[in-house]
Amino acid sequence: MILRLVVALAVAALSIVLAVLWRRREGRFDQAEGRFTPGDLGVVKIDRPSAVLVEFYGQDCAPCVTVQKRIGKIATEIPDVQIVSIDAGAHMDVADRYEVRRVPTLFVLDPNLRVIWRASGVPSEDAIRNALLGPNWAGRPAPKAARQQRVRH
Amino acid sequence: MSDKRMVDKNGMRGGAGISAIVLLVGFVFQWRAVVPAIAVALAIGSLFGLRYSPLGATYRIIKKAFRLNVPVEPEEEPPPRFAQTLGFVVSGIGSLLFIPGWNAAGWTLALLVALLQGLLAVTGLCVGCEIYLYAQRFKTREAEAH
Repeated sequence: MILRLVVALAVAALSIVLAVLWRRREGRFDQAEGRFTPGDLGVVKIDRPSAVLVEFYGQDCAPCVTVQKRIGKIATEIPDVQIVSIDAGAHMDVADRYEVRRVPTLFVLDPNLRVIWRASGVPSEDAIRNALLGPNWAGRPAPKAARQQRVRH
Repeated sequence: MSDKRMVDKNGMRGGAGISAIVLLVGFVFQWRAVVPAIAVALAIGSLFGLRYSPLGATYRIIKKAFRLNVPVEPEEEPPPRFAQTLGFVVSGIGSLLFIPGWNAAGWTLALLVALLQGLLAVTGLCVGCEIYLYAQRFKTREAEAH
């Protein structure tokens, strides 16, 4: 009986450990490499914003709605950022090219569309803000340049 | 939005938490009957849809009884339904293993289900749903290739 109780508690503890590990990874921005093309983003021309935030979303994906609300809020705070939302299901070729394995996945690009940061899951508002404005990236958006675009495809 | 049937993700998590607790308590007291009972509950959700799942119904009763203010988070039904099917298969095999007396093997599978259900309840990470999405992507890619 005691041994079984220990095993049951171990299984519960393992669930919690895996949950903690998952939470730490979930929505965390990591440095990444690669470069998008304007064609991938569904835009003919990038108007040289200071940053591009690319969001891969899925239809009826509940976490994507949360991320979109956060992005919408941050977009009003941080001008000069171009936001591109891509339906991963409808553009699977693009999603595959950038190894998007789940939605939502976010990419922060510099003005030359080079990938700087990448996150899967639901990043906090602060995490998105830091990825766009953080000290590690010299090409971060200039708050004075009041330019904001949103493209959806 | 697509026209696929939607389910409440939090309901799914609540149901998963209930099944994890039931399986762990059943293991501690060696109530083997809980494994086929959970298998049947998962089978109902898998065959008839998650809205008919006894686990989801239990969650809704608890939510109402304790007036829990948990929001409804709609998401597409197919991935969690597939996950329920996987849960049913694993717990069903576990139940069958009790018949010839292979209790350790039966409980191992039951505890695996409890672990994954516990993970779903705590984090919202649905391993079966992820497998479904990978399979869908693979299918689409194969279809595009031919």
